[in-house]
Amino acid sequence: MRWRHPVFTTLISALIALAAAAEEPGISVRDAWVRETPPGIVMTAGYMVLQNRTSRPQVLVAASSSGFETVTIHRSIAKQGMTGMEHAPQIELLPNASLLFAPGGYHLMLSNPKRALHAGDRVDITLKFRGGLALPVAYEVRK
Amino acid sequence: MKEISLKFGVMVTAVVLAAVLGGVWLAAVYRENGSRAILLPDQVMTLFPAPKPLAAFAFTDHENRVFDLSRLKGKWSFLFFGYTHCPDICPTTLATLARVRESISKNAAGAQDVQFVFISVDPNRDTAGKLGQYVTYFDATFLGVTGDDAQLGNLAGQLGAAYQVEVKPGTENYPVYHTAAVFLVDPRARYHAVFAPPLDAEGISRRFGVLRELEGPKAT
Repeated sequence: MRWRHPVFTTLISALIALAAAAEEPGISVRDAWVRETPPGIVMTAGYMVLQNRTSRPQVLVAASSSGFETVTIHRSIAKQGMTGMEHAPQIELLPNASLLFAPGGYHLMLSNPKRALHAGDRVDITLKFRGGLALPVAYEVRK
Repeated sequence: MKEISLKFGVMVTAVVLAAVLGGVWLAAVYRENGSRAILLPDQVMTLFPAPKPLAAFAFTDHENRVFDLSRLKGKWSFLFFGYTHCPDICPTTLATLARVRESISKNAAGAQDVQFVFISVDPNRDTAGKLGQYVTYFDATFLGVTGDDAQLGNLAGQLGAAYQVEVKPGTENYPVYHTAAVFLVDPRARYHAVFAPPLDAEGISRRFGVLRELEGPKAT
């Protein structure tokens, strides 16, 4: 009977929620960085390791930042012996897998930064996934 | 019991000794053949047995000086095609080449006889001023050059490089494709070797160091 006390039930449900939150696998990002812009240059790229810790595929559909005019998900590709870029409208992250955004491959193409980017600065970019999940990520500017 | 453990001990010692001796022998062999083995065909550098003399071309460098065939003479030149609006491949390559230069300059032979030239295939957007700001950000000694389509096509063709610029009227953003390899021209203005991506600064500078030493007297 005493266990039905409102304080207990509240406490228990709070603990359950906390445990669930801690175990909520979700999507995480590590090693997020943006390349410093040479003087006069209005294009740069963002890189990271995207980790899908859920048991379902997750689809990255867009990215946005108030610090740039545009943020586009791009991939450097080889085409007839040349290198170029293509827009990646969506990228599927497999369950419990990581996806690398690295030089020469997937990257966030960042155009017209609102201010010059210097090594050590922080850039905030929000990653958007299918289903409405928005993940804010802090990127470190590196040379 | 005692005899078995003794035998076992001897066996282990023998195996360890053999492994150590084997390692020492391999290291010695590698040291002896190191310089030559390093220039065998590999993933990093393709060396041409008969370097190809380049024909005349005419660009303008980032200080508005003529950059023609004569500017390739007397120096080893690392050439890379790209454009400054390139967010991924070009800055990555130029940063790698800056590390290559740093590594070469620490070598006893130094980097006095080496130049790094960024060839913009996008003269429409890459003015001399913009090129200068861009290349010298990576290394103060880097050169930025560009020219008209005929001249770009001329040198690219001689090096087996390709590029494609899809200029769209009315937009500042249009796709550009270019060969991502780095071309090495020797001090006699001959196309001597090519480095294929993925480019690794350590691998490139080590191979270049050996090549320059081997070619030293006859290259100039």
